[in-house]
Amino acid sequence: MLAELGLAALTLALAGALYAIAACLYSARTGERRWLQSGRNAALLTCPALLLATGALVVALLTEQYQLSYVYQVTDPGTPPLYRFTALWGAQRGSLLFWSLLMSCFICGAIGLNWRGERRLMPFCIPIMMASLAFFLCLSLFIENPFERWWILVDAPVEQQVVSSALIPPRAVPPTEANLRAGAEGMNPLLRHFGMVIHPPMLYLGFVGFTIPFAFALAALASGDLSNSWIRATRRWTLIAWLFLSLGLILGGRWAYDVLGWGGYWGWDPVENAAFLPWLVGTAFIHSVMIQEKRGMLKLWNMLLVIAAFSAVMFGTFATRSGVIDSVHSFARSEVGFPMLAFWAAMTLLALALLAWRWRGGALRDERQFASLLSRESLFVLNNVIFIALFVAIFWGSFGLPITSELFLGKEITIGAQTFEFYVVPLFVAMYILMGVAPLAAWGGMTAARLGGMLRIPLLLTALGVLGLTIGGTDLLVAALGYGVVLFAAIVGLCEIMRGVAARRRTLGENPLRAFVALFGRNQRRYGGYMVHLGVTVIGIGVIGSTIFQTEVQHTLDRGETVVIQDYALQYEDFVRAQAVDGRLMHIASLVVLRHGDEVARIRPRIDEYPQLPMSIAGAHSTLENDFYVLLIRGDRQRATFRIYINPLVNLVWWGGLLLILGTAIAAYPKVTRA
Amino acid sequence: MSQVGWEKPKHPLKRKRSQRVQFITAGVVILVSLLYLLVSGTLQGARYFITVAEVLDDPAHRGRTLRVSGAVDGESIDYDSENAIIRFEIVHIPSQYDDLAQALHDALGDANAPRMKIIVEDAAIPDLLQHEAQAILTGALERDGLFHATELLLKCPSRFEESSPPEALGQIPEHN
Repeated sequence: MLAELGLAALTLALAGALYAIAACLYSARTGERRWLQSGRNAALLTCPALLLATGALVVALLTEQYQLSYVYQVTDPGTPPLYRFTALWGAQRGSLLFWSLLMSCFICGAIGLNWRGERRLMPFCIPIMMASLAFFLCLSLFIENPFERWWILVDAPVEQQVVSSALIPPRAVPPTEANLRAGAEGMNPLLRHFGMVIHPPMLYLGFVGFTIPFAFALAALASGDLSNSWIRATRRWTLIAWLFLSLGLILGGRWAYDVLGWGGYWGWDPVENAAFLPWLVGTAFIHSVMIQEKRGMLKLWNMLLVIAAFSAVMFGTFATRSGVIDSVHSFARSEVGFPMLAFWAAMTLLALALLAWRWRGGALRDERQFASLLSRESLFVLNNVIFIALFVAIFWGSFGLPITSELFLGKEITIGAQTFEFYVVPLFVAMYILMGVAPLAAWGGMTAARLGGMLRIPLLLTALGVLGLTIGGTDLLVAALGYGVVLFAAIVGLCEIMRGVAARRRTLGENPLRAFVALFGRNQRRYGGYMVHLGVTVIGIGVIGSTIFQTEVQHTLDRGETVVIQDYALQYEDFVRAQAVDGRLMHIASLVVLRHGDEVARIRPRIDEYPQLPMSIAGAHSTLENDFYVLLIRGDRQRATFRIYINPLVNLVWWGGLLLILGTAIAAYPKVTRA
Repeated sequence: MSQVGWEKPKHPLKRKRSQRVQFITAGVVILVSLLYLLVSGTLQGARYFITVAEVLDDPAHRGRTLRVSGAVDGESIDYDSENAIIRFEIVHIPSQYDDLAQALHDALGDANAPRMKIIVEDAAIPDLLQHEAQAILTGALERDGLFHATELLLKCPSRFEESSPPEALGQIPEHN
């Protein structure tokens, strides 16, 4: 029953999307508004239809309907209820359905909020959004159907007797409940983590969110309305997509840190990189769109960036879901690879063709020219160059080099994490310097002397900061320089906020807290942006500390023995074996962490034995200063071996991420205007 | 009475031209720097991604940093936890295959398939290092006949691939 309901709802959503495309395009051709309204209603129908389909799958997961082969694949009778729910995105088929649901929610939001203001763009905007949705619905219905069920073909030979099919095959019977429960495979243990509960939805929201600016940009190109209207309509949607993508990346890093057991959070894995690429283009767009709004410049460039962001999302989706790329993050090899590649190519080519058509017509000419190298717009362009250079370098290392070498040399050539770091470190240094300089430059241009004057105090404070770090024991020149560059960007951001607060206090007589709150309320974008910058600088400090100064050692300890690592001491206290309620066997070591002779924590690193594989769960004592992170390698009550990491400042990566999200939320929050 | 003045800029064309030169120079410098970064990084860090058979057959590969993929033989896995050294063997799998799980299974079932001994020093034993996992290793085949790996990536496709129809379900219920 649930399978039939899900299938019917999915089919209805696809029909609604296809009808919306046809009706809106007809309206664009004839100008008949009722067809546009009809198309809009059909587009809005996709959301409840997909809620119904997803709801049916969730109910099937929660009520253990193992005849559905997806439920059979991702859960078993021992799976706890929370993970039964998150199993919705635990494998390809469920996550594709969930992806479509999120996309339809975004689309309905965009139609609902922009229907009045951007009606002229809707005859093209709705078909583009619906085409993207229809593509993913087709994947769900025809290739990766989450409502397929196991059937036994009575007349077939034994080895072909069991099939998975969405429709009931002739002369087929369902397997017995006992067989289904006994054979259910259960969730991949790597996914049983809190980070995995929220990391994929956030990443999907970020990915699908970029469909909205792309659709509005293409609608502007198709309709010929190339004023700033499409930018106004989509600016906030871009920020929302960027916010979720940032959150998804941060949570993914946290999951890797907690679950993959190597003491790191970013490994330059191709799938990680594929998710990072749209973030880079999106960041470039968020900056350059300001130049179009304020100066009427970079119209062509902004269009290119929106197209590139969507294209990067589609490519990243292909990289993750096709299974052609070797990564711990990728899905299993799937038939969706070729259709996704074809869809990515088709949408990108369509967008570029439309762009070339309008560009030749002269509709994307800038209203002004760059007047000075030392203007805010020039520095923003430089910022864009850096983000695009990062994009090119990471794309080249992850995909470009392996693919071209395979094509032209017949052998695949790859690069490792060290080479990625070689590419990106100078670019990130340049990014942090620009993050400090650009906010101080004026629109239109300013003299070098004036800019130098404005930079004097931040540079002085940075020098003092670096001196303090050096005296405090940061003896590595590279680290001191790295901290210096990041500190400079942070100081400029803080100075700008303090200047704003001081101005309000001076002119309005407000107290500092009120002035601070009002400052963010009155100019959300600007000060939200500064907060994002501060978040990025905090992340930068965390990355430098945890990368350059990480300590990694391995020790085998007898029970009661203590080992000293820097100013910590670790005492092996006990070892127990226990069985969890979901059936896994746990090997748990108890350790006491001492610092300067005082007990600071008791940690319990463990190994969980799942039927599929063992999972090492780290025990950690976390402070803002560092993480004392311990993995149990093997052991018994008498002796055990531990891998011990001291990761300085690593928690700043997560706290900086939080600041970044908060700043983006402030910048994206709708402004309340009083009548 | 206020005076209205209009000052003609000095040599406006010259100024515009010099600004254009500035922009072009800055652009060229940036582009050349980026190209240098990409090319020099690639030349330093590039390594071939080849099969076990290719590594063993071609002496030119000895001592060079390579990326190799193979099937892990579970019985050969040995972990020296005192010294944090992992030793295991990988078996040749072809560079092209339709079904990775099947390719890994077939490779380990072939007694004549080329095998290579791996050593990974100063490493925790990864959870995914198991029989029939795909190991993707970066390192070099040294004179001692061991492949000294500095990076180890593992995939266990047989455990997480879309489930093929389980034959155990095929016991037809009696009531039908």
